[in-house]
Amino acid sequence: MPAPASSSASGSVMRNLLRNGPFLTLLLVAIVWIGASFFSRGFGTYGHLRYILELASIIGIVAAGQTLVVIGGGIDLSVGAVITVTAITLPMLSPAWDPTGIFGIVAVLALASLIGLINGIGAAFLKVPPIIMTLAMATLLQGFLVIVAGGSAVSVENAAVIWLGSARPGGIPADILLWVAVMVGVLLLLHRTATGARFFAIGANSIAARLSGVNVERTTLLLFTLSGFFAGLAGLLVLGMNRQGYVGIGDPYLLTSIAAVVLGGTSILGGAGTYAGTIPGSVLLVTITALITVVNASPGWRNIMFGGLILILLLLSGREKQR
Amino acid sequence: MAGSTAFLAAKGLSKGFFGNPVLKDVSISLVPGRVHALLGENGAGKSTLINLLSGSLAPDGGEILMDGQPLSRLNPAGARNAGIAVVQQELSLAPDLSIAENIGLGAYPRRLGFVDYPELARRTAEVRDLVGLDEPLATPVGTLALGRRQMVEIAKALFRKPRVLILDEPTSSLSAHEAGILSALVLRLKQEGVAVLYISHRLNEVMALCDYVTVLKDGVCTADQPLAGVDAEGLVRLMVGRDAGDLFPKWEPNAAGDLLVDVQGFSSGMARDVSFTARRGEVVGIGGLVGQGQEDFVLGLYGALAAQAASATICGQKAPFSSVGAATRAGLAYVPADRKHEGLILPHSIASNLILPSLGRLNRAGMRDRSAERNLVSDLARRLTIKGDTARPVQALSGGNQQKVALAKWLPLAPSVLLLNDPTRGVDIDTKREIYLMLRSFAAEGKTVVLISSDTPELVHLCDRVTVFREGRAVATIARGHITEEAIVGAAMGVEVREQAA
Repeated sequence: MPAPASSSASGSVMRNLLRNGPFLTLLLVAIVWIGASFFSRGFGTYGHLRYILELASIIGIVAAGQTLVVIGGGIDLSVGAVITVTAITLPMLSPAWDPTGIFGIVAVLALASLIGLINGIGAAFLKVPPIIMTLAMATLLQGFLVIVAGGSAVSVENAAVIWLGSARPGGIPADILLWVAVMVGVLLLLHRTATGARFFAIGANSIAARLSGVNVERTTLLLFTLSGFFAGLAGLLVLGMNRQGYVGIGDPYLLTSIAAVVLGGTSILGGAGTYAGTIPGSVLLVTITALITVVNASPGWRNIMFGGLILILLLLSGREKQR
Repeated sequence: MAGSTAFLAAKGLSKGFFGNPVLKDVSISLVPGRVHALLGENGAGKSTLINLLSGSLAPDGGEILMDGQPLSRLNPAGARNAGIAVVQQELSLAPDLSIAENIGLGAYPRRLGFVDYPELARRTAEVRDLVGLDEPLATPVGTLALGRRQMVEIAKALFRKPRVLILDEPTSSLSAHEAGILSALVLRLKQEGVAVLYISHRLNEVMALCDYVTVLKDGVCTADQPLAGVDAEGLVRLMVGRDAGDLFPKWEPNAAGDLLVDVQGFSSGMARDVSFTARRGEVVGIGGLVGQGQEDFVLGLYGALAAQAASATICGQKAPFSSVGAATRAGLAYVPADRKHEGLILPHSIASNLILPSLGRLNRAGMRDRSAERNLVSDLARRLTIKGDTARPVQALSGGNQQKVALAKWLPLAPSVLLLNDPTRGVDIDTKREIYLMLRSFAAEGKTVVLISSDTPELVHLCDRVTVFREGRAVATIARGHITEEAIVGAAMGVEVREQAA
């Protein structure tokens, strides 16, 4: 299609906005919010929208790691299991001599990053395809958790984690503030550092990247380690909001993290995308879940609606253009 | 030439991409029993014309006629059924399928709904013999050398007994022997009344094989005439629209400097026990038939392939290098032969491709310095005359311009040893000349160029020394003054060439 000659500056700004995936997703979220608040009185209240953003912050943080890995040409299917690992092991790793709970948080994040690092070693050096490596890791972790936790729920007494889940400095929930920090960090990493540019390079063409001097192995290790780290961070938020951990608590976050990435316009094939799309993608997913909850339907139907809506949204929005 | 006798004709074709006209009012007639050459620099519109004729693209204007009847809405399947076969420059074979399965792909003989393999073998054996393949039909295509795969590709086209055969740079990956088989084949098809469209950058091939020529320049037809009475120089002038002058720059040997590359008993991949040296100020050529270990040797120097050596010093550092990063830090740069898959990140912008090797060197406070990057990109684009917006994906560029990007991205690192693998393959004449000039001026600055080339005249006219590879070994090193096409080809083929005093 020949592009029409640009008529005016404002016209081209408009066109650029309409071609901008993140902006369109955000627009969709706004429309859904406004529409839903007409039909359900409780939906549009400040409290409810704040709650939606709190839930979105968890998905958004898991999906931060997922976005990086997918841009780098991989995928991380172990994020759900890592969240569960975080939730179950936090009480064990929070010693009584540390009343702040900071030690527990550091220990758990180190563990989550280590799991990511092992994924990275498998993908980079053992040349196991990431989809297999991380799926195997998820299965391994689940077996390990059943042995450690024995199927019972653990409750949280870690002060810092409880604070994360409930505090509202300046009226804004701490988990949303944490998400904002993650946004700034990840967007800077991706688009303003050499390391971020290398993620895109290895995701688009790892051979050309290697021959251009990019250390593909080291970059892959970093990607998976970051994904483990962010899944661990999200696990802390899950725990802070729920106050208890159990086997399977992280499972819902696997599909949603990948859906948020793809809804945000990041190519599942790697090499193209941005976290700026994943952010509204996460909000959109939580909004849909909330809408489905408002509709009085049985759990089975809710799952069917959720899955169906994700498919429809993917068809309508951010998928990479077909060549 | 009267349109009524043509199998396939196009009238007034035009085509544009994103508002840029690529082909303007081009007409061509492919006549039975005629070998028709299509010439033009990269970006002249040859590939677009082929894609239109084979139904891969729809024209914006004009019409395509088969036996005088207009074909509306031609698609690739329709073109195949009409007897149009295309051998593309990019190989389109399935590497895991056998030779026979690839040749018959899409037209398998069936019995009771299942593929009739014995029948397939019988039918494919015929065309396989035509192209001189002696490998068993069950050999997976992925295990064949590039040149052999090209022959499979040609056999695949012949399998459907085409009336029109379009060959897009068929010889660019063929050895001299294979190219000879292809020439004989083309002449035979001509006798059988097939209309052949032959695209090549090798003018002597065109002069020897073709009867008629169409020349494209910037999407416009600049010549459409019989080849008889036209000489190579005339053709070049039609393609570039001016006197081509000498293809190769004039140069004087530089004073021999320090040894930058000194490897003894170097082995990597197919390359075995190679001893090789290169000094500052030298362009050292590596010749031989395609796939004799030249590439593996250079990849080994570059740290991209595991290597062992009796002794190796490169840029004053102990080699082999353990990684590409170590090699580039020592001052090496490599431009791969397969620029689309190895040299460039095609979907990324020209600017990102140019910046890639310099990433991390243009940081300010840990962040990328955008203005320094912009300056670097615009400087490189100007020095290499890469026109247009550098935010475009690099795949939007013609082959020659892509190659300039693949080369230019290394310049900011100021490498002292430039390793080039067939840098002018599929590149237009103007860009070739620019690359040649760049090589010699690079050497004149006291740096070293190692040039792998499948184009023997390049080695003869550009190099201070040429090392010839055969079966993974460096079988001969030819010194300045003794470098001739005969000497290189002789060594490559294992013909006894009298030892010249070095």
